[in-house]
Amino acid sequence: MGDIGSSLIGKRIPKLDAPDKASGKTRYIHDLEAPGALHAKILRSTEVHARIVWIDTAAAKRLPGVHAVITAADVPWQRPIGVAKDHLPLKTDRVRSLRDEVAAVAADTEEIAEEALKLIKVHYEPLPVLTTTDEALAPGAPQLHEGHANNVAMTFDYAQGDVAQGEAQSDVVIEDVFRLHYVTHCCMGVSGVIAEFDPGGSLLLYSNTQVPFLHKREFAEMLGIDPGRIRIIQPPIGGGFGSKLDVYPFEPIAIFLARITGRPVKLLFTREEEFLASPTRQPVVLKLRSGCKKDGTLTFRTVETVHDNGAYTSWGATTPFVMMQTVSSLYRVPHCKYHTAAVYTNNPYAGSFRGYGNLQATFAVEAHMDKLAEAVGMDLLAFRLKNAQEPGEVTPQGMHFKTCGFKQCLTTAAERSDFVAKQAANRARWRDANPVKRGIGIASMLHVGGGAKIYPSDGCGTILKVDDFAHVTLITGASEIGQGSETVLAQLVCEELGLPLSAVSVVNNDTDITPWDVGVHASRTTFIAGNSAIGAARKAKAKILAAAAAKAGVPVETLSLSQGFVFSENKKLFELGKFLRGLHFSDRAELVMTTFYYEPPSKHQDKQFKGDVSAAYAWATQACEVEVDTLTGIVRLLKVTGAHDVGRVLNRLGIEGQIEGGMVMGMGYALTENLVVENCTVKNPNFRDYKLVTAPEMPEMDISFIETMDGEGPQGAKGVGEAPAICMAAAIANAIYNATGTRIYALPFTPENVYRALHGAAQAPAWGKAA
Amino acid sequence: MHAIERYVRPGSLEEAAEILRAGNVTVLAGGTDLMPQTHAGRVKFQSVLMNVRRVPELRGIEEHGGVVRIGALVTITELRESALVRERLNVLWQACDHFASDQIRNAATLGGNVCNASPAGDTLVPLLALEARTVLASKPNGSLETRRIPLDKFFSGPGRTLKKPSELLAAIEVPLPPQGFVGEFYKHGTRPGLDISAISIAVGAQLKGKVLNEVRIAFGAVAPTPIRAPRAEAVLEGREADAATLEAAAQAALGEIHPISDVRASDWYRRELVRNMLKRVISHVGQL
Ligand SMILES: Cc1cc2nc3c(=O)[nH]c(=O)nc-3n(C[C@H](O)[C@H](O)[C@H](O)COP(=O)(O)OP(=O)(O)OC[C@H]3O[C@@H](n4cnc5c(N)ncnc54)[C@H](O)[C@@H]3O)c2cc1C
Repeated sequence: MGDIGSSLIGKRIPKLDAPDKASGKTRYIHDLEAPGALHAKILRSTEVHARIVWIDTAAAKRLPGVHAVITAADVPWQRPIGVAKDHLPLKTDRVRSLRDEVAAVAADTEEIAEEALKLIKVHYEPLPVLTTTDEALAPGAPQLHEGHANNVAMTFDYAQGDVAQGEAQSDVVIEDVFRLHYVTHCCMGVSGVIAEFDPGGSLLLYSNTQVPFLHKREFAEMLGIDPGRIRIIQPPIGGGFGSKLDVYPFEPIAIFLARITGRPVKLLFTREEEFLASPTRQPVVLKLRSGCKKDGTLTFRTVETVHDNGAYTSWGATTPFVMMQTVSSLYRVPHCKYHTAAVYTNNPYAGSFRGYGNLQATFAVEAHMDKLAEAVGMDLLAFRLKNAQEPGEVTPQGMHFKTCGFKQCLTTAAERSDFVAKQAANRARWRDANPVKRGIGIASMLHVGGGAKIYPSDGCGTILKVDDFAHVTLITGASEIGQGSETVLAQLVCEELGLPLSAVSVVNNDTDITPWDVGVHASRTTFIAGNSAIGAARKAKAKILAAAAAKAGVPVETLSLSQGFVFSENKKLFELGKFLRGLHFSDRAELVMTTFYYEPPSKHQDKQFKGDVSAAYAWATQACEVEVDTLTGIVRLLKVTGAHDVGRVLNRLGIEGQIEGGMVMGMGYALTENLVVENCTVKNPNFRDYKLVTAPEMPEMDISFIETMDGEGPQGAKGVGEAPAICMAAAIANAIYNATGTRIYALPFTPENVYRALHGAAQAPAWGKAA
Repeated sequence: MHAIERYVRPGSLEEAAEILRAGNVTVLAGGTDLMPQTHAGRVKFQSVLMNVRRVPELRGIEEHGGVVRIGALVTITELRESALVRERLNVLWQACDHFASDQIRNAATLGGNVCNASPAGDTLVPLLALEARTVLASKPNGSLETRRIPLDKFFSGPGRTLKKPSELLAAIEVPLPPQGFVGEFYKHGTRPGLDISAISIAVGAQLKGKVLNEVRIAFGAVAPTPIRAPRAEAVLEGREADAATLEAAAQAALGEIHPISDVRASDWYRRELVRNMLKRVISHVGQL
């Protein structure tokens, strides 16, 4: 710390957990050993869709070293899990996808458990398989779930204005169908859990969940015990990205085995299992119809989507919450209509994934922004600027943009990438002889940046304790899943208390200790937990300064905390540690401990999906520059120029890492990643054939921060976790068009897909059956 | 996993051949194919696991009387760092440069790549274009014997070769190409590193002015084994690489390949790539 008033905000601060991670010291769930633990494995279905006639576990049970082999019959008290409570952890009489859990084993070693699985015999009676949403929606299709006669798991409808009127006012109307593919999170740390009961029947769970407090309740209901008897400890998590937002069958299964054996049970996925049985970003077919006037004013937008929900309902089905926001409110559109049906099939089921539907919606919306601009002969940037949101706007959906750096994002990204000139130059090369083309494309995004009130509360609690050496323990409900929240929260507290970063420890991973929080999702942690931490720190500061004022006999307004001292104006008054010891050991002994609960001023949306769902909104524009080899279809991403309205930069190193990582994740979605599912079977459950972006493919990245200083944000900051992944695919699609004159409506842009599109050999996405 | 009863690490070629003669042996070199294959259950270990990495006769890269002998244990990294390979067998060097990642290249051996006999094996394609042969060692009647099989006869199917279980691959011999011989290797994968070829092409020729002589073309991943393309070679022999000749060569090549569809590429796309990239590679070679 330098002079009085010097600040940590905006500095480049290495993550607090970085030394441990870089040196291999971090103990992930894989590294934890519970004494006496058994190792569990799950037997999954070998049939896509079938009736289970019988299961014979006798031979598996006889294998030495096996402690329990369970099927649904052994846990008649199990309860349905997931967002729609439409599946049991262990399947009873029917399997609906290849990932379905049929039996589970607990044994002395993983190898024995694996052997035991091979000894379990299951007799299936195959049932007709629904491989696509079209098949599932066809009249007479078999019904996958009771109460869903047409296999529609969920629908979402939103409307504002009158699209017919909007269309009547349009000079140009276009309609296209887009097809989005399957991808999965590919967390470096595979899924895992350790479950352990004490003799009194209380459950201790080591879990990688992103939402410990909500899951506590779900497990309690399932076990028929008081939620107070469940303690969840989160070891450092090897990646989340939304994949750990729901209860998935493996966690209850480990709990069942622990209860039945009376031993701790550890269950870890193999990498292959992670590909087969962790959630996905689901395929979506999206029909977009939109229009504008000659002067470029947007008139209306109609969106219909069919989501392949897979065999069960998890958060993937609810991505329309976010998709409709982009459709209605990224640009000003007076008339909008939105409809989604999430349809059951026998495919792998869909969870939440960084961006939460926004990648898919933005892909379509930004393609149409290009096409409409071209149709009315407007410059692509000018067209967007004309329709872009501005500060103060309240959209028909009810979102209130108190700060909004959208136009600055657009102009900054365009200027820094030389977008307008390059666009023109690239188009001029469409018909020249060189088969290798260049393109630049632009896309923007809107995402919640101040939490998202999808539950009645979107709050987070903090407990803060300042000890007698002026060391602070920050106990927060917010989990660290690698995003760097620990560091940013510590920084915010230091800023309030005038302490160096080394004076703060963060405790954030134990439901018996930490106060309540909704969980890590919706890019909310820095914003919500940050405000909560600041609230607790301010209370502590007030307490300290009041005591100091009393002791020194000066007005409290003249006092401040800085550099580990209580200052009076510019003069050091007390050394903080010494002063706190004085407080502590006086005859009116007092400890400095505070609590704070922050609830953002956002609203739970009404049944029409209207309401100001977030306390702040984040904006970004990304320009992507590509090289397209028209003779191979290979698209190389050369450069990304991103301008992000982040409210304010808190930790410059952290936010750069978050944005670069997000850009690369979005790039993978666009160019390389593809979970190939054929006949409901994952064909590439490994990193050889599921292609993550590798180091030599990294583009040049130019990142600008638009600091709009959000009034509600912690030190003015907004959430940024999901934003950088969202518009990459859209910008790359626009860049490929700019390079080649061919617009591709289906992801991913793998070489063969691009080659087919360029040479007229691709099947354009078709609108199948709507529901 | 299958039980390995005995692990042996012979110190000489004689000893290794002796162990092989007794039978039921799995040969382990770098293990970069063997370990994933056994792990996935596609290959089962025999009862004896023989690590050949300490057999000195299987090492070294040397040139004698116009032939380069590359020991079976030479790693891809060693090939990539060899001046002899870089200068005289440049098309092989290029394949090594496109091979996997540093970690894999340090362990992976040339012999392993050849014996694994994948249609997509990256060194096989330039080796075919360089008219290499395999040197196989065995000890059928108490004394060490060797036989040589030209590489274009060596592969009998995906993962299958004419090498008998009792034989060890001792070396690959490559006749030095004539002075002025130039070549190019092309590997089509979706990313620059760590990818299996969807197709690969090696083209070599001697240039006299712009005229191509001694044309050799080989393909990977478009047939059950890596293949030479003699008809395409014949089209080019003694000609300049003008547009019409390139098209004719590409058409000839399309008649010589039998690609399949798999998770990496469709047969249609493989054909398109062969046509487009063969033309590109030959025109590069024609300008070297
Ligand atoms: C991540 C990864 C990336 C890869 N990338 C590529 C790539 O880009 N291009 C490519 O071509 N390959 C690639 N491979 C495959 C593999 O690395 C190569 O085929 C390698 O050359 C095999 O050599 P090895 O020494 O590891 O063989 P091993 O695995 O030890 O052996 C392979 C087979 O050959 C037999 N064998 C080995 N040596 C002898 C011998 N002297 N005599 C008789 N039999 C023998 C073994 O019994 C075994 O059946 C990759 C593999 C991995 C895991």
